[in-house]
Amino acid sequence: MNLGTLKKSLSNPLAFAGFNIIIIIFLLSMLAPLIAPYDPNFINVKAILLPPSAAHWMGTDGLGRDVLSRMLHGGRISLLVGLVAVGISTAIGIILGSLAGFYRGWVDTVIMRLVDIMLSIPSFFLILAVIAFLTPSIINIMIVIGLTSWMGVTRLVRAEFLSLSEREFVTASRTLGAKNSRLIFTHLLPNSLTPIIVSAVLGVAGAVLLESGLSFLGLGVQAPQASWGNILTDGKEYIQFAWWLSLFPGLAILMTVLGYNLLGEGLRDALDPRSQHK
Amino acid sequence: MSLLPRTKLFIFLLLLAGCNAPSKPTTAVNYDLNFASTSGGTLINAMTGEPSGLISMIASESASSAISSNIFNTLLKYDKNLELEGDLVESWQISADQKTVRFKLKPNLKWADNHSLTSADVLFTWQAVIDEKTASPYASDFQLVKKAEAPDALSFVVTYDQAYAPALDSWAGLQILPKHMLENQDLHTTAFARKPIGSNFYQLDKWAHGEHLKLSKNPNSALGQAKIDHLITRIIPDNSAQFLELMADNIDLMGLDPIKFSRIIPARPELQKKLALYKELGNSYTYMGFNLKHKPFDDVRVRHAINYAIDKQEIIDGVYLGLGINIASPYKPGTRWSNPDLTPYPYNPDKARALLKEAGFTDSNGDGILERDGKAFSFEIITNQNKEREKSAVLIQRRLKEVGIDVRIRAIEWASFISRFIKTGDFDVVILGWGLGLDPDQYNIWHSSQQAPGQFNFIGYNNPKVDQLLEQGRLELDADKRQEIYHAFAKTLLEDSPIIYLSAGYGLTAIHKRVKGIDNPAPPAGIGHNAEEWYIPQPLRRNEISHH
Repeated sequence: MNLGTLKKSLSNPLAFAGFNIIIIIFLLSMLAPLIAPYDPNFINVKAILLPPSAAHWMGTDGLGRDVLSRMLHGGRISLLVGLVAVGISTAIGIILGSLAGFYRGWVDTVIMRLVDIMLSIPSFFLILAVIAFLTPSIINIMIVIGLTSWMGVTRLVRAEFLSLSEREFVTASRTLGAKNSRLIFTHLLPNSLTPIIVSAVLGVAGAVLLESGLSFLGLGVQAPQASWGNILTDGKEYIQFAWWLSLFPGLAILMTVLGYNLLGEGLRDALDPRSQHK
Repeated sequence: MSLLPRTKLFIFLLLLAGCNAPSKPTTAVNYDLNFASTSGGTLINAMTGEPSGLISMIASESASSAISSNIFNTLLKYDKNLELEGDLVESWQISADQKTVRFKLKPNLKWADNHSLTSADVLFTWQAVIDEKTASPYASDFQLVKKAEAPDALSFVVTYDQAYAPALDSWAGLQILPKHMLENQDLHTTAFARKPIGSNFYQLDKWAHGEHLKLSKNPNSALGQAKIDHLITRIIPDNSAQFLELMADNIDLMGLDPIKFSRIIPARPELQKKLALYKELGNSYTYMGFNLKHKPFDDVRVRHAINYAIDKQEIIDGVYLGLGINIASPYKPGTRWSNPDLTPYPYNPDKARALLKEAGFTDSNGDGILERDGKAFSFEIITNQNKEREKSAVLIQRRLKEVGIDVRIRAIEWASFISRFIKTGDFDVVILGWGLGLDPDQYNIWHSSQQAPGQFNFIGYNNPKVDQLLEQGRLELDADKRQEIYHAFAKTLLEDSPIIYLSAGYGLTAIHKRVKGIDNPAPPAGIGHNAEEWYIPQPLRRNEISHH
């Protein structure tokens, strides 16, 4: 992928919107320590559950903490978990997919059956089960989400490898005596990047959603650290009265997931010649 | 193409409108009118956890006894002013040497299945509770009975080795089980725990697992008939879902947290119209308990330091919105057992820092966290998924960080909290609550002999002086001398600080105004003392067909 393809995909208005949403959320989260009006963990028992006002744009929570500040800092956690988890799953997917697609035979059979097994287990419940054994923490959440969501990438990479292996330039290279590593790293992998990137971008959306779900259930990021999921949990008790505790984190999760999905779809459309729009 | 989004939007708006519309058209029922007391109707309440079984001597959770106390009787009970009176017994006599108690059962008592309830059942229950196989956490009270006899069908006589002061109170807590149903059965596996036969006002009608338990009036009730026909207890694990059900009129009674009690309900006239709020003091207190077998909590200076570092008033104000009080002894404030000379540890972070330094903790690497022997002072507070306790933990975490202690918080679902952490002793620090008993004896909680898995001294407290006071307190029947003993006990406990008292919160309850006959203000025994006299007037009953 280069700047050209990014430009091309951003010419799609939806993808452009998605890209902008992500950039804005990223900037806000990265700059959280600078722009957050309060310390996200600053407790003020005299200002419990205040509705949004000039002093607290998004109100305060059950311990009098500023929701806006917690949202900004929580965004860092949510995005970090999304990116790292997808990094892990993509790395695993690329390795296993390359092995399966390149060596075929029993290697392929073993890896693909493993994929089938993993896919047959509902991943959210698998994650719940694993987290119940480990201590819930950001690191564990990222690892567990990463370790349970590599199957899609594996299949993609394998399929790319299988089809690319039959192409003339690969055959030519092989005939010229290129080593396996050279074939994989200079020919097959670079040419498979497009679907990997698209699936990674879409994967981030899924991981952000998963993290929110886990935090919502109390199994994710632990107190007092904020994440969108656990701000949402704190809010559910008072959803009818303290709407701001549910609305803002809900919107943030929605926008992030939407942003990644739009961008992912846009990239796919731009990069994949077979799905060209008129 | 152009129509589709519009339709969707329209449906979306409809859904929104549906959410905002009241679930039922508000009728002109005035719940504040007076009505004559009549029988009938159904009271629906909710609990967050399902009981593991209904034999309360082995199921130590409150969910179990909340249900089973409607099904089973005890020999004695407390009246509204917390004086003992007979439940199954007509009278009781204490021998001159204070070692023998002679209970006389009321005549013609029956079990719900029409079998006679006799002293043989009482004797059987005593044998069951002291049986090692039963492993009841309440066994120690009853193991002190040297001899128990049932000389005739109505008499039950217990003799203690030594005078045992909490004896009567213990018999007010032991639910009598039917011998004819349970003889030669293993209490831990018997089907009876889920299909009990009792003698009290209600019997179990239906237990829909994970949904509700339905109790109906027991026609053979030992104490006459209750007013309300059916008690349904729905299992709704989530408090906010319970509250939605309360507002939607689908449950009648619910324990409230302070925010709902003092912020949410008073701000909504339509809720005030149908819900009555009740406040009663100190049925329990919340504490932070140390695992005294883990370092560094074996060091009293560390425990003192943490006690000084925590601002309890902040917890009461912030978590309980002021609806709680700070205590210094494990007794109901204002009762004779509560030592008035004791004061809670004040918030004093400087003193905390000094004590920690004295205990050998210094911040040698400048990261703001104290270390001793190269190990950072860091621990995990575990608690069950209870909003107040979680919030208290967050406040404590902040205060301890200020003196250089790193705290992690983990909220765990109740069943695994008990089985995985409490029973195995695999924890550093817990935030939990204890009920405040009516008898001052707290042998089960603090005596060093009560540390086996499943017993209540799971923090591993072991102080010979406290052991001795607890033993002494059990032998002393003179109330004034007994008071001295327990005042001394509370003093030692406070000095030792094996737990930190966080707050004795008020019991806060909302009950639908259709339920009448509730004492307000609550007597010392609380609003529940006359639940059998509560009634629901015919015009205020809900449409019974649509529910369950």
